[in-house]
Amino acid sequence: MKKLLFTLALSIVLIPIYSSAQDSKSINAKNLFGDLRARHIGPALMSGRINDMETHPTNPRIIYAGTAGGGVWKSNNAGTTFNPIFDDYCQSIGAVAIDPNNPDNIVYVGTGETWTRNSISIGDGLYKSKDGGTTWNKIGLENSEHIANIVINPKNSKEVYIAVLGALWSDSEDRGVYKTTDGGVTWKNILYVDKKTGCADFAMDPDNPNILYASMWEFRRTAWSFESGGDNSALYKSTDGGETWNKIHNGFPEGKLGRLAIAVAPSNPNVLYTVIEAEEDTKKGLYRSDDAGNSWKQLNNDFGITVRPFYFSRIVVDPKNPDVVVKGGLTGSISRDGGKTFKSLGNMHADIHDIVFDINDSDRMYVGTDGGVYRSWNGGTTMEIVENLPLSQFYHVSVDNEEPYNVYGGLQDNGSWYGPSSSSGGINARDWNSIGGGDGFRVLRHPTKKIIYSEMQGAANVWRFDVEKKLIKTVQPLPTKGYAKLRFNWNAPMATSTFQPDRFYMGSQFVHRSEDMGDTWTIISPDLTTNDKSKQQQEDSGGLSMDNSGAENHTTIFTIAESTLDENIIWVGTDDGNVQITTNGGKSWTNTSMNIAGLPQNTWVYHIEASVHDKGTAYAVFDGHTRGDMTPYAYKTTDYGKTWINIISKDVVGFVRNIQEDYVNPDLLFLGTEFGLYITLDGGNIWSKFTKNMPSVAVHFIDLQKRTNDLVMGTHGRGVIIIDDISPLREISSEIMSEKLHFFKTKPAVMRDQGGFAGNFGSETQFVGRNPSRAAQIKYLLPKRHTFGKMTMEIQDLDGNKIASIGPGKSKGINIVNWNFTIKQPKVAKGKTFSFGGFTSPRVKAGKYKAVITKGKETFEHVFEVVYDKHSGLSDQERDLKHNTTMKMYNMTQELAYLVYELDAIIDVSKDKKKLTSALNTLKETLVITTGDNYVGSAEPQLREKMADLYSKIAGSYDKPSSAELENLSIIEERFNAAKTDFAKLKKKSKFKDLQLKTFDEFINE
Amino acid sequence: MKTIKLLLVALLVSATTTINAQTADEIISTYFENIGGLESLKKLEGIKMTAKVNNGGMEIPIEIIQLKSGKQMTVINFQGKEIKQGVFDGETLWGHNFMTQKAEKSDAEATAIMKLNANDFLDPFIDYKEKGYLVELLGNETIDGTETFKIKLTKEPITVDGIEEADVSYYFFDIDNFVPIAVQAEIKSGQGKGMTSEITISDYQEVDGLYFPFSMTQGVKGQPGAPITFTSIELNPVVDDKLFEFPEETASENKDDNKN
Repeated sequence: MKKLLFTLALSIVLIPIYSSAQDSKSINAKNLFGDLRARHIGPALMSGRINDMETHPTNPRIIYAGTAGGGVWKSNNAGTTFNPIFDDYCQSIGAVAIDPNNPDNIVYVGTGETWTRNSISIGDGLYKSKDGGTTWNKIGLENSEHIANIVINPKNSKEVYIAVLGALWSDSEDRGVYKTTDGGVTWKNILYVDKKTGCADFAMDPDNPNILYASMWEFRRTAWSFESGGDNSALYKSTDGGETWNKIHNGFPEGKLGRLAIAVAPSNPNVLYTVIEAEEDTKKGLYRSDDAGNSWKQLNNDFGITVRPFYFSRIVVDPKNPDVVVKGGLTGSISRDGGKTFKSLGNMHADIHDIVFDINDSDRMYVGTDGGVYRSWNGGTTMEIVENLPLSQFYHVSVDNEEPYNVYGGLQDNGSWYGPSSSSGGINARDWNSIGGGDGFRVLRHPTKKIIYSEMQGAANVWRFDVEKKLIKTVQPLPTKGYAKLRFNWNAPMATSTFQPDRFYMGSQFVHRSEDMGDTWTIISPDLTTNDKSKQQQEDSGGLSMDNSGAENHTTIFTIAESTLDENIIWVGTDDGNVQITTNGGKSWTNTSMNIAGLPQNTWVYHIEASVHDKGTAYAVFDGHTRGDMTPYAYKTTDYGKTWINIISKDVVGFVRNIQEDYVNPDLLFLGTEFGLYITLDGGNIWSKFTKNMPSVAVHFIDLQKRTNDLVMGTHGRGVIIIDDISPLREISSEIMSEKLHFFKTKPAVMRDQGGFAGNFGSETQFVGRNPSRAAQIKYLLPKRHTFGKMTMEIQDLDGNKIASIGPGKSKGINIVNWNFTIKQPKVAKGKTFSFGGFTSPRVKAGKYKAVITKGKETFEHVFEVVYDKHSGLSDQERDLKHNTTMKMYNMTQELAYLVYELDAIIDVSKDKKKLTSALNTLKETLVITTGDNYVGSAEPQLREKMADLYSKIAGSYDKPSSAELENLSIIEERFNAAKTDFAKLKKKSKFKDLQLKTFDEFINE
Repeated sequence: MKTIKLLLVALLVSATTTINAQTADEIISTYFENIGGLESLKKLEGIKMTAKVNNGGMEIPIEIIQLKSGKQMTVINFQGKEIKQGVFDGETLWGHNFMTQKAEKSDAEATAIMKLNANDFLDPFIDYKEKGYLVELLGNETIDGTETFKIKLTKEPITVDGIEEADVSYYFFDIDNFVPIAVQAEIKSGQGKGMTSEITISDYQEVDGLYFPFSMTQGVKGQPGAPITFTSIELNPVVDDKLFEFPEETASENKDDNKN
């Protein structure tokens, strides 16, 4: 039996290797992405959800923020700005802890957020850094899913306790309190209750590391309900380092308990606080013990203390004063009388999850909310937001076709927004426009009009916003005679049509279609869900604390896609597992979900992508995580859903949220998973994770901008992330992999004339999204990295004359080299100071150019085209005039440089001829600045400065030279001619016949 | 099921052992062997590197001189004017102010760091043990699509903004030829503090029997960097020591300039 198992195991391990080896068409893109890098555009103005905050125990400048979906961020300037330090790993963070014995180096991160709302992500274990967060290693607890606390013995770094909340959606034995005594090599579960009960909070006595407190919580979420509390929820204490545990409930309410918080006052370990979720409302609230847990007294059950225990249960005690207590909540509450009375914390984003005090000054507080990190300088009364945390949690993203295109999407708890994909000086907070309130979900731009559709939770409002006229109207489908009560998902689907611009779809359990932008609606389907009544009892949801926010609405339609090839083909996916298709515009519907092999029944259909290449082809992805099934599922049909094939390979980790098909190459697909983006070049045989500046963040939605070929991702924790121009991926094949160097096709590069004023105020501390490059991009593929030998690149005209030399990329895979259309700046006459105009490099004329790469002894050439920007409206003649005038002044500048060089050379050898040198110096003083500095000590500009400034003005303008400029040019030209004549006379006078001078060409090219 | 787990463990273990088969020390000594030998490197007295940097269409000639004594400077040429940056004479670190073109001293902390690094001529890994540096092989990582050994180098602690910090950098050695192709380090000061800098290295070419990288791209990790390509590298250049000295008498320099 054992032998058999072994062979079986062997074959399981080996099969994928064989199958990929056999299929010669398969290409592993893993190491080929090269310079294809993601670009983050935020927004950060509403930031995003923070799960846990930590301070360094001795250095008040260092603060960590563990975020719900955006990884770990570290500040080394006392919270002014933060940097991400955990991008390569799971971005959903439960807890961050710093070893008090080695705080500069040892940091632990427990993944899996712990405020268990419906949209929560999952973790994948515990990580440790030994260098202050630069490098990380996973050290275990892979199945913990949600880690609530990490506590390190302040007297012994090797002793660490981990509070594991454990799986939210299913039974699990990986729960409770874990302990290591060897710094994380081995772990022992020291407190376990049952498969439903995890450790929600954990504390250690600050004076005695053997005294521990653990709050155990019985909880469970399904897609359609939430249950908090049970007989197994309890608060435990151990006095022997976790060997034995006792309940400490003296003074607690009777009956079932829910989520309990626990905090020990750092300045007095006898003072404990807990917040209790109980059966009776009057018994809920804050309890305090003054005898280390022997007895408890209820102090307060205000709304701010008892609100939504699963979402807010953190208590923090001032490190210096046991009577100053802060509680997370809708607004956050602070007590200065030991918990008897509370007032709200200062105005900030709602939903406060964690609070930390500065180590030296308790007036300084850092607060983690659903809208980022806030700082207070006055004990929590006034709050200011950290402006560089782009943690926005998008549910959906879409793009339009403007120039630059805009990105639209809705955010968890932060409304709906749109913003540009590029902007002057980068994409700033002020570039984003609010386009809906509440929790935002889908946002779509009308296909032809400047109208935007957006929505809030459960389609409670669907807004139609006329951007130009600034007119807003709500257009959601309303209850209809003869039909059942409408069930909308919290994240209700909407869709537009390629064929009828005014057509608009919404999904409840029915498909609603409007032909007039939502003014009139027709139901065009029966109930397409399973209509399972047992999943429709949301008013009973919550457990001990009722929680019927609408977020648990189930048996609803979740995705709608009208084919772009045939308007009668509509695909619909439901949250309870149905994949429905109509091929006659809704007259009849077929449920194809029975035809999907390997897919558990009722698995949430997260997205259906109707192919743009073939009518009968579609892709569907499924998400089983709300049933505890983390398997990635993606399927393809080519026969209208009659059969579906699995297109997931073993490479994919994390359940799937979205799939995007390329518009050109049907084998190029993009997969959004809970742990990042995957790309396949061969229709799904091999998927490769894309990690180039791309965090392992949950990708909820992907769109592909057709004009630019930019892949636009709505991530749930790191905002909008764009990969500019994915077109090189279309060309990669085994054939081009065998070339020594392959140039990718590029569209003609536009020399953009459009500009703008950046006004970079505030960018010191604000997040600014990076713009795409405006340069001509030369893209090529290297099969192997170039490490040894010479490799250079020149831009040449078609006759082979050098125009510019550029440092080429050497990476294996895709290389992208930017050339900004210029030749090098003119050589400028040497003066005392700089001629700033002379730093201008003029652009080339539109036309064809060559990129020539020399690699060792071989050369590779690629012809590409450069075109003018149409926006400036110049005729060909005007372009010529501009170019010729610019180059005339460029040449004049260099001539002057040579003249001054000659003049200096003569002065150098004429020191004994006083009269001559004096005449030469007088002339020189009219040619270049000979005194002053480059700032406010600058001297009166001379010919060089005037010439270079006009040159720079003309070269830098989008327009043809104006008559004023041309007149100015003639004055400069006259003065230059006069100077040339004067110099010629003096040169003649000097009578140096054998003066060794460089030629003009030597001088220019030196 | 247990067997599968065992097998996986075995696979993992064998994978780690291949990594561990190479120690950091072996990688570094092979590297020196491959670029021409540690002894020859240690015999060098100085190096001069010449490059033209292309900055948004503006071509800037620069020259970098480094001597075994730790003396060094970077000379940038703008419109015929020499601007020196990062000049170190063994005691003072200084550079020209771009506005006034006058020499100004760098701050005390930057100078102290430069002093600590004065013994890192050519490569910090030369005699790293004698210098008290620590190296640690962290494993394999892919850089530029290429498998590398990741080695952590810890030098003497430095003081930044009044606080002592570890001086750590990460070197990535190509597993085929053992030369470093990238270096990463946390940016310690300025607006970028806390971000990670990355230098990628290529175009190793022979100069008098030793191999030097002729191309580097510098930037912030994850973002496009700025390439610099050396047109020539000169070994043991003759350099006047006076060029490194901080010019205390700025008045005489002015006079000099007027003459030109």
